[in-house]
Amino acid sequence: MRQNVYQFIEVERLEPQKKRIERRRHEFVEIYHPFQKRQVEMQADRCIDCGNPYCEWKCPVHNYIPDWLRLANEGRILEAAELCHQTNTLPEVCGRVCPQDRLCEGACTLNNDFGAVTIGNIEKHIVDTALQMGWRPDLSKVQPTGRRAAVVGAGPAGLGCADVLIRNGVTPTVYDRHPEIGGLLTFGIPAFKLEKTVMELRRRIFTDMGIEFRLGVEVGRDVAFADLLADYDAVFVGTGMYTAMRAGLANEDAEGVYDALDYLIGNADSLLGMKRASYPYVDLAGRRVVVLGGGDTAMDCLRTALRQGALDVACVYRRDRLNMPGSAREVVNALDEGVRFLWNLQPLEIVLGESGEITGVRVVGTRLGDPDERGRRRPEPVPGTETVLDADCVIIAFGFTPSPPPWLAENGITLTGRNLIEAPAGGRYPFQTSNPKVFAGGDAVRGSDLVVAAIAEGRLAAEGILEWLEV
Amino acid sequence: MSLYDRQEVRDNCGFGLIAHLSGEASHRLVRTAITSLARMTHRGGIAADGRTGDGCGLLLQKPDGFFQAIAGAEGWTLGGRYGVGMVFLSRETDKAEAAKTIIDEELERETLSVVGWRQVPVEPEVLGDFARQTMPQIVQVLFNGPFGWGSKDLERRLYMVKRRVEKRVTDDPDFYIASLSNLVIVYKGLCRPVDLPRFYPDLADIRMQSAICLFHQRFSTNTLPRWPLAHPFRYLAHNGEINTITGNRQWAKSRSYKFRSPLLPDMAEAAPFVNMSGSDSSSLDNMLELFLAGGMDLFRAFRLLIPPAWQNHPDMDEDLRAFYDFNSMHMEPWDGPAGIVMSDGRFAACGLDRNGLRPARYVVTKDRLITLASEVGIWDYEPDEVIEKGRVGPGELLVIDTLTGRRWTSWDIDRELKGRHPYKKWMDTCCRRLNSFDTEDTLETGARDLDDDRLLLYQKLFGYSNEEIEQMITVLGETSQEPVASMGDDAPMAVLSSRQRSLYDYFRQMFAQVTNPPIDPLRERHVMSLATCVGREQNVFDEAQGHAYRVMFQSPVLVYSDLQQLLNLDSSHYRHVILDLNYPREVGLKAAIEELCRRALAETENGAVLLVLSDRNISAETLPIPAAMAVGAVQRILVENSRRCDANIIVETASARDPHHMAVLFAMGATAVYPYLVYESLGRLVDEGILKTTLREAIRNYRKGVDKGLLKILSKMGISTIASYRCSQLFEAIGLAKEVTELCFNGVASRIEGAGFADFQEDQEQLARYAWQRLHKPLSRGGLFKYIHGGEYHAYNPDVVQALQKAVRTGDFADYQVYSGLVDNRPVACLRDLLRIKKDGEPIALDEVEPAENFYRRFDSAAMSIGALGQEAHEALAIGMNRLGGFSNSGEGGEDPERFGTERVSKIKQVASGRFGVTPHYLMSAEVLQIKMAQGAKPGEGGQLPGNKVTAQIAALRYSMPGVTLISPPPHHDIYSIEDLAQLIFDLKQVNPKALISVKLVAEPGIGTIATGVVKAYADLITISGYDGGTGASPLTSVKYAGSPWELGLAETQQALVANGLRHKVLLQVDGGLKTGRDIVKAAILGAESFGFGTGPLISLGCKFLRICHLNNCATGVATQDETLRKEYFAGVPEMVMNYFRFMVRETRMLMAELGIARLTDLIGRTDLLEQVEGITPRQKKLNLAPILETVPAPANSGLFFRERNIPADPGRLNLELAERFAPAVEALAGGGGSFTIRNTDRAVGARLSGQIAARHGNRGMDEHPIHLLFSGSAGQSFGAWNAGGLHMVLTGDASDYVGKGMAGGKLVIRAPLGVAYKSHEAVIIGNTCLYGATGGRLYAAGRAGERFAVRNSGAQAVVEGVGDNGCEYMTGGIVTVLGDTGVNFGAGMTGGFAYVLDESGAFTGRVNPELVEVLTLAGRAVLLEHLRGILNTHFLETGSQRAERLMTAFDEHYAGMFKLVKPRTSDVETLLGHRGTSPQETLAEVF
Repeated sequence: MRQNVYQFIEVERLEPQKKRIERRRHEFVEIYHPFQKRQVEMQADRCIDCGNPYCEWKCPVHNYIPDWLRLANEGRILEAAELCHQTNTLPEVCGRVCPQDRLCEGACTLNNDFGAVTIGNIEKHIVDTALQMGWRPDLSKVQPTGRRAAVVGAGPAGLGCADVLIRNGVTPTVYDRHPEIGGLLTFGIPAFKLEKTVMELRRRIFTDMGIEFRLGVEVGRDVAFADLLADYDAVFVGTGMYTAMRAGLANEDAEGVYDALDYLIGNADSLLGMKRASYPYVDLAGRRVVVLGGGDTAMDCLRTALRQGALDVACVYRRDRLNMPGSAREVVNALDEGVRFLWNLQPLEIVLGESGEITGVRVVGTRLGDPDERGRRRPEPVPGTETVLDADCVIIAFGFTPSPPPWLAENGITLTGRNLIEAPAGGRYPFQTSNPKVFAGGDAVRGSDLVVAAIAEGRLAAEGILEWLEV
Repeated sequence: MSLYDRQEVRDNCGFGLIAHLSGEASHRLVRTAITSLARMTHRGGIAADGRTGDGCGLLLQKPDGFFQAIAGAEGWTLGGRYGVGMVFLSRETDKAEAAKTIIDEELERETLSVVGWRQVPVEPEVLGDFARQTMPQIVQVLFNGPFGWGSKDLERRLYMVKRRVEKRVTDDPDFYIASLSNLVIVYKGLCRPVDLPRFYPDLADIRMQSAICLFHQRFSTNTLPRWPLAHPFRYLAHNGEINTITGNRQWAKSRSYKFRSPLLPDMAEAAPFVNMSGSDSSSLDNMLELFLAGGMDLFRAFRLLIPPAWQNHPDMDEDLRAFYDFNSMHMEPWDGPAGIVMSDGRFAACGLDRNGLRPARYVVTKDRLITLASEVGIWDYEPDEVIEKGRVGPGELLVIDTLTGRRWTSWDIDRELKGRHPYKKWMDTCCRRLNSFDTEDTLETGARDLDDDRLLLYQKLFGYSNEEIEQMITVLGETSQEPVASMGDDAPMAVLSSRQRSLYDYFRQMFAQVTNPPIDPLRERHVMSLATCVGREQNVFDEAQGHAYRVMFQSPVLVYSDLQQLLNLDSSHYRHVILDLNYPREVGLKAAIEELCRRALAETENGAVLLVLSDRNISAETLPIPAAMAVGAVQRILVENSRRCDANIIVETASARDPHHMAVLFAMGATAVYPYLVYESLGRLVDEGILKTTLREAIRNYRKGVDKGLLKILSKMGISTIASYRCSQLFEAIGLAKEVTELCFNGVASRIEGAGFADFQEDQEQLARYAWQRLHKPLSRGGLFKYIHGGEYHAYNPDVVQALQKAVRTGDFADYQVYSGLVDNRPVACLRDLLRIKKDGEPIALDEVEPAENFYRRFDSAAMSIGALGQEAHEALAIGMNRLGGFSNSGEGGEDPERFGTERVSKIKQVASGRFGVTPHYLMSAEVLQIKMAQGAKPGEGGQLPGNKVTAQIAALRYSMPGVTLISPPPHHDIYSIEDLAQLIFDLKQVNPKALISVKLVAEPGIGTIATGVVKAYADLITISGYDGGTGASPLTSVKYAGSPWELGLAETQQALVANGLRHKVLLQVDGGLKTGRDIVKAAILGAESFGFGTGPLISLGCKFLRICHLNNCATGVATQDETLRKEYFAGVPEMVMNYFRFMVRETRMLMAELGIARLTDLIGRTDLLEQVEGITPRQKKLNLAPILETVPAPANSGLFFRERNIPADPGRLNLELAERFAPAVEALAGGGGSFTIRNTDRAVGARLSGQIAARHGNRGMDEHPIHLLFSGSAGQSFGAWNAGGLHMVLTGDASDYVGKGMAGGKLVIRAPLGVAYKSHEAVIIGNTCLYGATGGRLYAAGRAGERFAVRNSGAQAVVEGVGDNGCEYMTGGIVTVLGDTGVNFGAGMTGGFAYVLDESGAFTGRVNPELVEVLTLAGRAVLLEHLRGILNTHFLETGSQRAERLMTAFDEHYAGMFKLVKPRTSDVETLLGHRGTSPQETLAEVF
């Protein structure tokens, strides 16, 4: 039972304690201390259980947030964990990496006036605690249907899909070219946001649930997509979006210019104790680093570089702080850790020294003009404000474009004009592609988006598959 | 077929009787009766023609001299034993002759010889047009009986004659036998009382003599009254309404095969005994007639039909209780509100039902006449002629035997009855009581039978959700209280939903409004009972043999040990059989039900007494029949085959879990219900540690909670006992196909068709698939109560709320269109979503549509009190509405006088049942006075403002103490019937003649009929609320299951008002979930010209629809009294509200332009502009909305919308005189005085003057310059209503009901003339419900008061010399001193103020309701004793009361020790006097 209906006024919103700055600036471990049980109960009690749960409404997987907040408040962690898993495949991941300030917590009734309920951290607490206590998904009631599905891509979308399938008696086999599951969760997101052990534990849980993983296997190279079509009752494609976007700057290809993702993957590999030729480890210790871009990936690069011991780390972004696309929370963390933010600057060229080494980035000041079609104000260069920023290396984090593998078209799967897979959510079977046997979801369908959005699509696509398979 | 059913009739009235105590017949008595009747004209209704009355009449002893004279003139010979029939015949000669022939034949068959037919002389010229047009031929038939028959023998055979004739004359609606008797005769007609002797010259004939005369004046809610329905009937006349009528009729039908009497061997030929439709009073008369004809005496017959509340009565002895227990096994109570007068020619009797909601005052005069009527002073006797004055109290019966001259009181009658048979012994030997699980810890709880997996399977199969388990079952199990919810119901009704909804969801609870009152099941618990009895019924006529083997128990909701005890009963008397409700799916639902019926019938024929319908035996191959269908169908088959009273239907079902579910089962015929899956679910909750209690305790709590919920549902209909509720079918089905209602719910209103058997089977298939084939899937989360993603659609979902908030903030119409797009394109959620506006008209330009300014006056904000809303929100809303030119509604909770005359004023002032802050000043500050009869979120229920919301400010506005819980009663205690509403409207118009009077109703079947009555009661505006309206906190099942959609209610009302030619006299408003301009256009087409909005404006002001209003922690600062939240977090400004309305008007005008309609009123009644669109789901497609779209042509001189004021017949002459004479004194603050005579037709005397005083000087501004008025005579109702400070009225004589209602100041003195024969403390001097809602002032009455003295008093100080039942109910302030006896239930719901009561008999403490108050002596409390002595002294000085004088003379030595102090437990006795007179000034001074 709720203790205090005025809790939201009397107890302030509180996030878990961050680790000491000296420590977190150097280590690849999550920067937050875990919530204490008492804190969780007190914070969860701030939820006023609205008649309209805006948090749940805004959440892409529509977590039953008020319900599990109540359970957490009452200390009923296992039930809470069970409930978290009813709507979400990777709740502990979402608790860590979701931009809650734009989703549940942003929509929270209390957000404007009182400070939102700390939903994300409570979610993380619930699931971490339950897993620690040995809780595992109970699939004993699932009656196997004898049907099998292939899932291409072990990222959030693929895992979401596989999770729902196995829970409904359809056995999935998940293929991924990386040696570990998680996709960008493992290789893109740095360990100070999401420790690598999280996905390792998940892999064991999934495996115990009966999901088979074929890791390090690239569809189209190691196994033909047509074979999957032939061998399985249905196929889900969740291949994500990996091709880095370029800005067309002069000297973009110079030595010392890195793609953000390659840089992050190389770093992740090294933390996982492996080495792959395609993703060389780049050590920026002692370097002066300029990161171009203002999204979450840019933040990840900035903070990775800091931890590698870079001399100076600067973020160059075309708009102002208010108009940055990344999570505000991560910006704060980056600032705390020592990143220099250079707002309202547009890069023009990478300046090379005589020997072809990078010496700086030429930029021009901007001001914000009218909003574009997505409501964000367009930066306009201010003539006569050009300067050169000193740098030894440059990381480009302008985002990604789709990289549809050729086997899609070969197997009758239609792409959109933007090279995304056409798999409408509102179709007869959600997320079915033009090849009826093939379903798709995640970034490969919707373009670069949040982890939780990919999970949601993977799960809905699984529902579509189940319906299509009539099981 | 329209929604409005002309057969639907409700009536209430004024009634009375005059009898000579020694049976001396005279014409004077008849004359006096007629003039008395004319003095109660204001209690009756008059049709639009101004002359057609709703009916009045007399029942007399057969005037022998008169008929002998007639016979002599005609040359007829009357025998020693002759009878007269008073007959209405058709005006068509053929039909009339045919009927006469039948009567001749049937009389002959009984060896009665017809002497002659007499054309009764009548004078049709005195009738109104309508009455004249429908007037039948009125004849009398005189006949001789065989020599040697006794008069009773003849009466008995005449009963058979009458029944046979009635059954033979079938297709003649005019034909009616008003009376057929050798003892009595009835004269009645559709005229005004004053015209009755002119219409029937017989009555003016001085040979027309009688010693008994019953008289009655009817107020029908219908403008097309019928001649036969005028009272009196054959034996009785009735004032009130039989709330239990539908159940009574069902049982009369079910039971008819049990009735046998050796005196009437051919009784069966008279069946059916009771009419199934039409007037409730006539049905009661039928039953009484049968009982008397069958040989029962009047005493037992009446006590059987209308027993007092015996189960919980403090003064009842065991033998008497046994008498009532025994008789309750034969007949369920016919409960009122009922005031009945009756006579069989020898006895004259008057009885009231257990609640005593109708007044009955009597006066005995020196000439041995007893005059008993709804009011006192109805003929002009002189004070020295009076030897006794009294009243008939709740559950009492007064009988005068004119043969012996004996007067029987209730006490005499009960003593006589209980001594007739050894009832106690019979009950002890044959009747068992189940051992109670609540008190005996040795009884088993029943271990969990289902493991977790199996439990989950059951829960899924029967449509449980986590939401329901958490919000309903857990809460009931933990707290024994139903959960509370706020903000109404915004989910689609069951038939519109695209999900599987329980069958129970299709039923809407019926509730009482206007023509009958709901009961307060908490504070008036003593009249309520859930006692249930199983076993075979016996013949009611055969008392000696009639004692049956029966088992009784206290709640029809069974627990494990109850069921086990029942199943283990001796099988010779209680053989049980279990009937499985699970059927193989290929059989089909309908066939399965039919098969079940066959089995049930066969088993009862085979001797089974307990039919246990069980859905426990589930399997993957079968589906369960919905329990309610099974019960309804079995009930029907048993009744049709005359088996119902040999069997009891016990339902063992998983489907029932909340009080509503149970109520549906009981109303459809279940005797008891065993909700096993709830207990299993509770078991799991306890095992899991979620419920922190033992299973035993959880089950007890749950049952207690459900019992409370059931009582609440019963009480909404004004029904006191489950026995009267069972089989009553008091539900409206919304969206059930005819095939379903015909087979299972025959008789339940289902007006728009809908889901059929195939749909319900499909629902069950879906649930079965999820249960059996999706074992791994969890229980559904739910979403029915609140929005949950993936659950039920909610009309105020987050998208809608946020879109609206954005629009009103930006003020951009494009943003508004986003909002209205979301609303207009939603999935079908309301009936109107299936009605499309046709676009085939000729569009006009937007500027040809009437300008926006014309619309705003049509908009009201719905009533939301300050108390529910914070001050800031309340004022922002008022300012917004006022700036626009609309109206805001104060709600029930007073208003700060600072706001009067500013833009913060609420132009609508609500008058609700709590009367909080309803002072004359408040009333004078209004342009509209709204009487809230019911509210959408919880029609038929009262409210409660929890103490934590009663801040100093709220307390000041409501004239109460901070922190004290404030209770609003379910009924208005001055409105128990339609003529009472007319009286309140009259009172309000007397206070503030300029204000429009509005009456707020909630949609339900029959609302058209009620609305018609409301217009006849001279209301100016009617609001029809839908179920989906409502912002207030309310029990969850009330939010979900009570009230109908406004589409039905509005259309029915429009149809009824138009058909009755009254629509043009009243403004019609709709409210409930209105959101956009499209809603406005549709509502206008269906009949509304005014529109109320509750939630929309609130959301505009920042409400986020959090549904936590009842917790006082509204995070948006809208619905809270918390200072921090209100002051710091409320961000609404009036402009937001204004934007919302401007947007809607713009949208409305655009739609009107498209339709080519220039004025809004041109839309009204244009149902041709709407068409039904096909729904999406199969059941939506089966809906038939044609009844909503039915158009009714307006009679000439009438119309489809408001055109002319509804001018009352009675201008209140004495008030006009007073107002005119003292206006200058008021103006000049000069004071003054005068003396006047007064009679019962002078009502609400003083009110207009009080209104003038308050308007000019506020409630108390004239205190220092009083006007003294002296009156002599009998005052009409509402003497001194809303008395303002400075008005002192002294009445020598007596007064009727409602003295000092709403009094705010000044002084009222009522005293008997000097030298009267009776003792003041033994005589009744003022009527019922005095000081209702008073906030100040003083009342001294030297005599007894009626029921509910000082109900909801919050400041008046009063002295009376005795009170009836329910004294000081809901009192929150003031001081009441009672110098005599009180009735029962004193101090119920009393949270403030205190009372001194003289307890001479020592019985007082037992009559107090101890829930909230305690009774102390005054020993050692010197200050209080001196305070009391001062009160006595003042009472003596003001009234000259000899009683007071005597008490003072021996105060210290004798009386001081007899006084008891009654005070709320929460008040500190030391500071009682410190709170004396909680006027707002004082309270504020204390607080700030």
